[in-house]
Amino acid sequence: MSLLVPAPSDGPMSNGVYVPPSVANGDVKPVVSTTPLVDFLMQLEDYTPTIPDAVTGYYLNRAGFEASDPRIIRLISLAAQKFISDIANDALQHCKMKGTASGSSRNKSKDKKYTLTMEDLMPALAEYGINVKKPHYFT
Amino acid sequence: KMADTVSSGSSTRSGGKHSTTPADNYYLARRRTLQVVVSSLLTEAGFESAEKAAVETLTEMLQSYVSEIGRSAKSYCEHTARTQPTLSDIVVTLVEMGFNVETLPAYAKRSQRMVITAPPVTNQPGTPKALTAGQNKPHPSHIPGHFPEFPDPHTYIKTPTYREPVSDYQILREKAASQRRDVERALTRFMAKTGETQSLFKDDVSTFPLIAARPFTIPYLTALLPSELEMQQMEETDSSEQDDQTDTENLPLHMSTDDSGAEKENASVLQQNASLSGSRNGEESLIDNPYLRPVKKPKIRRKK
Repeated sequence: MSLLVPAPSDGPMSNGVYVPPSVANGDVKPVVSTTPLVDFLMQLEDYTPTIPDAVTGYYLNRAGFEASDPRIIRLISLAAQKFISDIANDALQHCKMKGTASGSSRNKSKDKKYTLTMEDLMPALAEYGINVKKPHYFT
Repeated sequence: KMADTVSSGSSTRSGGKHSTTPADNYYLARRRTLQVVVSSLLTEAGFESAEKAAVETLTEMLQSYVSEIGRSAKSYCEHTARTQPTLSDIVVTLVEMGFNVETLPAYAKRSQRMVITAPPVTNQPGTPKALTAGQNKPHPSHIPGHFPEFPDPHTYIKTPTYREPVSDYQILREKAASQRRDVERALTRFMAKTGETQSLFKDDVSTFPLIAARPFTIPYLTALLPSELEMQQMEETDSSEQDDQTDTENLPLHMSTDDSGAEKENASVLQQNASLSGSRNGEESLIDNPYLRPVKKPKIRRKK
């Protein structure tokens, strides 16, 4: 007596993933359903993020998030770091664009000292939808 | 400068001086760490310096980003009837916040990475050893362990203190003198109230009562007679050695051993020995007042 095993078919259910018929036709690119960062999480012990675990854990606890696994905390701190460094890179781009826009000396590139100013930060943040406005002067 | 009484940490930038509680210090330490993190990220990106306002902005953003991830992940987790957030909750959170999750591993492996030490964990400063006195009472069973300990026992246990009695010679002498004067006054008043009195003033009897003088038949008798104490001693030795020796022989010997002025009375005592006991007995019958009876001294055995 053979076990009745549902033969894997290319019906809606295959690999345990429900693929809607429209996707199977190739109209919409399917989203990967397995958790993407599982492997990454295993390697995470080697990469210590810049933000200490205690600090991230402190802010997560304030929000009500109690982490069972310390690697989760590292993941979150890494994500936050990336967020900030993306903004910083965009601001750097703005700074460089302003520096070389006027066509200053070709031989030496713009001096290596870049200062992050609010004028650079504001358009970088505006691309993310964050509007900051600082007064020109304050006592 | 106006004194700044706002206790929130966000006002540290402005000038006012305000005291920070330990909770504020806790919060400030972590915020400072975030600032350091932001500065290191900016250095990694290539900036040499930055405006303070820009660093503050990025610090604020970083803090709120982390808090938002925590809050949102917790919400997703509770949405599926769980209490422990998992990796999936965080991934969903990041996706919802517009974060490209696939780029994260690549970012983690970037070349220049800086690590910052965590803010030091300081223990609660307890009472310094020099000030603790005695053992703290341990928790009864119904109190959980994470509650603070009982305070030092001297704060709630009452120990009575005794003042050292005064031993200054001058003060003691003064006290003894005033006590003696009070006792004498009380005693004379008492005697005046209980015995016969003679008044100094004709009309007023009770103001200054004098103890009535009892006229004796032979006025000089009291001067000649030995004091009560001597007579008692005489009597004691007399009764103890009556069977051994004769009275007349021993009496002058014993009289000479007495302290107060016995030589004067030696001769007269021999003659008045017979009348001595008689008069004494007579006196004793006259004294009815129990408070005026002679003092009974303990028998003192004197060796010859």
